[in-house]
Amino acid sequence: MEGRWWRRWYPWVILVVHVLAILIFTRGFLLTRTDLPFYSHCSDISQSPCSFSENCRDANDTASAASCWTKPAADRLVIIVLDALRIDFVAPSSFYQEKKPWMDRLTVLQNLASTRRSSAKIFKAIADPPTTSLQRLKGLTTGGLPTFIDVGNSFGAPAIVEDNLIHQLVQNGKRVVMMGDDTWTQLFPNHFNKSYPYPSFNVKDLHTVDNGCIEHLLPSLYEEDWDVLIAHFLGVDHAGHIFGVDSVPMVEKLDQYNRVLQHVIEVLESQSGPGGLHENTLLLVMGDHGQTLNGDHGGGGAEEVETSIFAMSFKEPPLSIPSGLDTSFCKVDSDGKEICISNMEQLDFAVTVSALLGIPFPFGSIGRVNAELYALGAGTWNLEGTGMGNRDAPKLEHWLLNYAKVLCINSWQVKRYIDVYSASSVIGFSFEDLLHVSDKYFQAEESWKHTTKNSLLHREGSYHSMLPSVTRQIDAFVNFLSYVSELARSKWTEFNLKMMGIGIGTMLLSIFIILFAIRRVNRPHGTFLPFGGDSGISFEVMSAFLVVAIRACSFLSNSYILEEGKVASFLLATTGIINLRHAVMKRKMLFEATSFLLLIFILRLTIEVGMSKQAATSLFMNASSSWMTGIAPGHPVWRLMTEIGPILALFLLGYLLYRTTIACSSSWGIWEFSTMGTFSSFLLIAVHWGSESNLQQLAILLQGIGKGYIPIIVYATGLGQLLLMTFGQLFSEAIDYKRSLVMKTVAVLGACSSTIIILSGKQGSLIALALIIGGYCIIRLGNIEDDVVDRANGILTFNPLAVTQWNLLAVCLFFATGHWFDEFVLVRQALLLTIDTFGFSLILPVLGLPLLALSQYFIGRTDNGKDSFLKQMSQVWGLFAPKFVFDAVGLVLTDVCICLASLFYSGRLVDATQQNQMTGK
Amino acid sequence: MKEEKKQKKKEPKPATRSVSPPLAFLVHLVCGFGLVAPLSVTHNLFSLTLISDSSSTLRLIWVVETVVMILVYSSFRQNPEQCSYPRAVGRGILALPVVIAGCRPTSIMMYEVIGMQYLAKTINWSLFMSSLMFVPAASVFGSSWTDWQRMFAHTKPNGALEYMICIPAHGAVIGGWLGAWPMPLDWERPWQEWPICVTYGAIMGYLVSTIASLGFVVAHPRRHRLKGD
Repeated sequence: MEGRWWRRWYPWVILVVHVLAILIFTRGFLLTRTDLPFYSHCSDISQSPCSFSENCRDANDTASAASCWTKPAADRLVIIVLDALRIDFVAPSSFYQEKKPWMDRLTVLQNLASTRRSSAKIFKAIADPPTTSLQRLKGLTTGGLPTFIDVGNSFGAPAIVEDNLIHQLVQNGKRVVMMGDDTWTQLFPNHFNKSYPYPSFNVKDLHTVDNGCIEHLLPSLYEEDWDVLIAHFLGVDHAGHIFGVDSVPMVEKLDQYNRVLQHVIEVLESQSGPGGLHENTLLLVMGDHGQTLNGDHGGGGAEEVETSIFAMSFKEPPLSIPSGLDTSFCKVDSDGKEICISNMEQLDFAVTVSALLGIPFPFGSIGRVNAELYALGAGTWNLEGTGMGNRDAPKLEHWLLNYAKVLCINSWQVKRYIDVYSASSVIGFSFEDLLHVSDKYFQAEESWKHTTKNSLLHREGSYHSMLPSVTRQIDAFVNFLSYVSELARSKWTEFNLKMMGIGIGTMLLSIFIILFAIRRVNRPHGTFLPFGGDSGISFEVMSAFLVVAIRACSFLSNSYILEEGKVASFLLATTGIINLRHAVMKRKMLFEATSFLLLIFILRLTIEVGMSKQAATSLFMNASSSWMTGIAPGHPVWRLMTEIGPILALFLLGYLLYRTTIACSSSWGIWEFSTMGTFSSFLLIAVHWGSESNLQQLAILLQGIGKGYIPIIVYATGLGQLLLMTFGQLFSEAIDYKRSLVMKTVAVLGACSSTIIILSGKQGSLIALALIIGGYCIIRLGNIEDDVVDRANGILTFNPLAVTQWNLLAVCLFFATGHWFDEFVLVRQALLLTIDTFGFSLILPVLGLPLLALSQYFIGRTDNGKDSFLKQMSQVWGLFAPKFVFDAVGLVLTDVCICLASLFYSGRLVDATQQNQMTGK
Repeated sequence: MKEEKKQKKKEPKPATRSVSPPLAFLVHLVCGFGLVAPLSVTHNLFSLTLISDSSSTLRLIWVVETVVMILVYSSFRQNPEQCSYPRAVGRGILALPVVIAGCRPTSIMMYEVIGMQYLAKTINWSLFMSSLMFVPAASVFGSSWTDWQRMFAHTKPNGALEYMICIPAHGAVIGGWLGAWPMPLDWERPWQEWPICVTYGAIMGYLVSTIASLGFVVAHPRRHRLKGD
């Protein structure tokens, strides 16, 4: 009795272990920063120790009342984002070993940077990976690092919930206009006064977004109804993706941008006189990330991470910042001009722009106000300053004092964020780190009090004596801020190896549990167990192991993950060929082997089509469009095929179901009744499809019946069947074990299949048919070897090759239904989506496993392999994270299915065991 | 079925012509030369490589290789009394188109990118593969199902000649199979295109297994004698 109890609970134990392992692993693997729903407000500044009146001149008070945290340095801001702008597009070729065709194309920027060195600057901006546009825009506007949510939604674009630059702009009455890439409108759905979004989806389209931008950008520059203008050009990114960096279209794009930028700068310049529209305008031309020479981006490689920011103010700043804050690196051009390039982090962008515009810094920003970029705005302010009674003061010191104050606010804001974050988040920083942070902060703050006191004392005296103390003060703040950003990077973007190790360990443990369980289950009637070592390892077992091992290894490479469907079908074909060989060897079941290969061939074709549906760049569409169009539209035979084919397949399914029902059942029981339910569902689905079809007469005929009701009825029937069967399971008694098991399996499959078929659309029935044919072939082929053994042992034969094939077939089906990892979007109807997504790849195959009459060992095993091997590819998590989440969900679902299946079948299994024992005696 | 049973009853016939190791070496040398020579000829004369124009290069290779294979292996045909040399040549040629039908789906499963621009390449590749695998067997065995089955399903070659046919054929397949693995990698090399690395893999596999089969040919007679004792 005890053994019986145990056996029934094995699947549940395994489920629990798996969930546990995944939870632990996720903790370590996914970036664990959480969004905080807090926002900065103007009034918050009163809490900071850097109050305004203390250090500023009295005359300043009135001016500061209008401003918020910092004194605004620019009234208007033009941000031109050139997607995937490599640093060497902007930096002069003299910085590199040799001049490449794509260099020195944006000559306007280079000329300005060399001729007006104090008001125009080129920065080399370092982005934080993942370097995809969405994540970078988030990073640029929030000033933070990527979060867990980012990872899950890396391909969808949900609105930003964290405090960010755009939110602050809107909150403080700035009017924002956006044009170009529609990612912005997805991230900030209600923020823009005006927006001209263009779809960014079609990578092949180099011009729509850019032309739209240009069309709206130049007229907008003459208008007064905005404060911040954002124009996002996508051409360079797309040109990189399609043609690569070293290509004619890329150079053409850059030349085009050069002309546009020239035009923009001319317009801005012409209106930058006193009283002009752009008197206090700052122009930023920037990239969101770089790209490799092949046009790829997403990872953390130097080429991908290094992008550029060009900043220009139209008023000459009257000072040059002290060398301590200057990070620039200069080189003489071939024409003898000297160009300098400074360094900054993209993390600092949000806070620096906030400081320049005088709005509160985003709450979650951990960046530091960049001195050089901030200094560009000094021109506008010193104009005010000259009228404020401290003309005698050296401008530099005045500016430095101001900068120190801004840094003080900056440090206070970062400290506040760190405090709130560690108080509210589950996984915060360690105690020592926090202690160190506050230590540094209080040091800086203490000396700040000292400095301000000094500055009050020295009000009448010379500023000169203050210079060293202010510089030291700035250093203290910079020190604190860089320490925090380093700490945050190490905590939020690195992996917790210990956690991951424990997770993998638990996963391995679960494998042992499975092995143990199989052993326990098999022991009573001494079934052949291939791992037992008591029998020689056959060729089949070897090849099965080899295939599984290859598949696991292929997950070490991200390119194999992208092509998983093809690789799986390749492996499946390999096993199919091995089967064919066996069939030829044994001279039987040649038909099954060949049809299996043919099935794989068809699946392979559908995988290709399924992929090309989503990937616009697929070669398939290119190549086959000519002959596809020859047949596809309008041709009546083709249309009839697409309309009638699925329905025919459906009827065929129904027929097969009917056949098995008749063959297996002698009397009418619950199971048979539920099969009837499936028939009616199939009929309804056929009617539903018929009403959707383009065939006129059918559609008219069926118009009267409410379309919407049919799916609901089908779902209800499916659910009803399952409930019915649960009851049946509880109250029924087994007469003939083997037959009733087959019957039950068929019934359960039927109940689930109708729902799954209707959810996956017209391809559903065809795929289901493919599944059945594939399954049939696998079963038949698996039985080639051990027909005799099979009969002796009842149903519990263990054929690893067949299980592996079954698993691979499931994967192929998954891809054949047109899934594709880029399309990973969490929709609200998660349940329906899950059924749709995993329907053919998991639910049906697992529930159908008893038909194979095999243990579930291998399915569990391959999934484990994936998870554990995933760890090693830690650096490319941008791609892996969705995959990981996916696999985790898949594994849990597999377990759940196995558990349910065990509930349905296990009672009988035990009976069978007992029967076997009886007969054995 | 009856036929099969009959054939089963008969013991597999001994190889009709014994092949001495030096002769085997010569045959392999000629065949290997037929494989490698077109590659270098195209490269040097027409400056064509598999990478620049895989289709025509493959065509040249398979034409040359088929001619060499047929001419060489037809002289080792089974039952020379019943089957004249021209007839063996004829069935060798006949093997090519028959085999394409099977090769095409196989090649698609072997990681081919489906598309019309690959059709010519795929057909040429199939012909190339069949020239390595099936043409020698067809020339020697003709349509004898037992022999084909013994060669390609049981992999139990008997005698030096069968070693020379069987092992290189399997080597070419395995080489091609292994050659398909670099294809999905994102190294962005020109040779990762569809038939190129598979072809290289097949050629490598063929050459390596040729040497292996030579080893077997050398080792085989001794073993045979031992068995006889």
